Amino acid sequence: MKRLDCLKVLAPLVDEHMLAVTSLSTNTPFWFTVRPQGPNFFALNMGLCLPFALGLSVAFPKRKIIAIDSDGSLMNDSSSLITVADVNPPNLVAFVMDNGSYAHMGPTFTTRRTDLAKMAQGAGIANTGTVGSLEEFSAAAKQAMESRGPTLIVAKVERDAGRVSADRSRTSGRPMREWFMDAVRHHPDYKGGR
Amino acid sequence: MKRYDCLKLLAPLVDEHMLTVTSLSSNTAFWSDLRREGVNFFGCNMGLCIPFALGLSAAFPRRKVIALDSDGSLMIDTSSLITVADVNPPNFVAIVMDNGSYARMGSTFTARKTDLEKIAQGAGIAKTGTVRGEEALAAAVKHALETSGPHFIVAKVEPDMVRVKGDPHRTYGRAMREWFLDAVRRHPDYQQARK
Amino acid sequence: MDQQSVQVIVETLKEEGIDLAVTLPEEPTFSLTEAMRQDPYFQAVTVAGEGNGLAFCAGAALGGRRVVFVTGVAGLLVGSWALSQMGMVYGPPILILASYRGDFGDHSGIPGSQLLMFKQVAEPLLGALRVPYRVVSQKATLKRMIQEGSFACQDYSHPIVLLLSGEVLW
Repeated sequence: MKRLDCLKVLAPLVDEHMLAVTSLSTNTPFWFTVRPQGPNFFALNMGLCLPFALGLSVAFPKRKIIAIDSDGSLMNDSSSLITVADVNPPNLVAFVMDNGSYAHMGPTFTTRRTDLAKMAQGAGIANTGTVGSLEEFSAAAKQAMESRGPTLIVAKVERDAGRVSADRSRTSGRPMREWFMDAVRHHPDYKGGR
Repeated sequence: MKRYDCLKLLAPLVDEHMLTVTSLSSNTAFWSDLRREGVNFFGCNMGLCIPFALGLSAAFPRRKVIALDSDGSLMIDTSSLITVADVNPPNFVAIVMDNGSYARMGSTFTARKTDLEKIAQGAGIAKTGTVRGEEALAAAVKHALETSGPHFIVAKVEPDMVRVKGDPHRTYGRAMREWFLDAVRRHPDYQQARK
Repeated sequence: MDQQSVQVIVETLKEEGIDLAVTLPEEPTFSLTEAMRQDPYFQAVTVAGEGNGLAFCAGAALGGRRVVFVTGVAGLLVGSWALSQMGMVYGPPILILASYRGDFGDHSGIPGSQLLMFKQVAEPLLGALRVPYRVVSQKATLKRMIQEGSFACQDYSHPIVLLLSGEVLW
């Protein structure tokens, strides 16, 4: 199944007050295409997406937080799964878009022996699953958004053909941070910065 | 079961040409007391014990290389298990002394929800086990040392009540490194660099 | 990295007896690591994280293997903990080839703020970790630099970093 199709299915389930975090991958430009407004933190580098989202989940405990990670990124710091299990936030939903590849650089460990959903279970996350079709993804995403987490769903997607880019001023670096912080400061639940 | 008893049980099963690596924990002081000869790398800091031992197993492919790690150390970098599974060396054995605590600083995640054996299986290591008694440990270790690996064994042990220190000249820093390298150079399989 | 640089590097590594090639794939050095992966001379290992990658290299190196670790500045950052242990404290001879992201000439398209961060951090990081390094940006000196880096590595018994940049990398 295609990554963009999955994210198109996910976007309508994410309301304006939910916060989303993407990894440095095509998750970033694709997510920006389907959900340009609302609090989004884009393009977190390897290993940082899931723990950052976990942090947001304790800052906004009443809202669903959506992490859109990738296999290579998560495997760089798989110990973050243990931290997620232990903090155990009911509002965290993590998707690992697993295309079995580091960008266009060839197969990662998930095309061989590694099973990320199983690692997540070992870490202590009870609600985990692996999906391979758009129907399965849709059902799993809906269920995750409606139930208590934390939930981790591994979505087996095809490699994206060609390069995809998005507006840099919205999806990277300091400008991205400013858009994000602006959305956060206007969030009804925001308690920071006095 | 007690960590020291586990290591005491392990020592006679490790022959003179096997190589061992201990994590920074009481594994170091205890193991240095029980195995005084042979190639031993002591006190590998957090997260580094298993990957270091994996590298050593690539340098000595015909010998069993045993990582004596601890739960806190391994959990700093569980991604090392993915690397182990992928390299898939038959001579690699990891034994994790899981006392569910960081030294004497309170409980770790394995005292709660985390199952290191299951993480190892998820990473792709097929030959795994968790043992809670000495007989089971002895059987698991014998099996690991006699068959093709990689093997991953979690030994559930009680927290040690007192702080144990090893001889700093054998178990720490540059001095330890020199003992280690001396033993490595004298190992019958040691292949010095071609140039 | 173009095929000319890849060839020079691969040939020189072989002459130096380096037969263990470890990496976590990254774009600027991908053509090099792919070439080594497909070359039966090398034992090629892919690691899941640079921290465990550097520790792996240390175990192999102190155990007598000749090893090269191919990474980038990001990998050095992730692997800083391992480098502090496996450098200053234990001194394993590991030759590290690291792409110098963010150095002048990096037109890879990564956002400027990231490139600037890599440029500002790379050399002070290696200084802080006391890892000797050289920036290698000319094809004419590439072979010699690898030979010298490899020699120094063994001679000092310490990790050495060659930061690849300029026409060598781009």
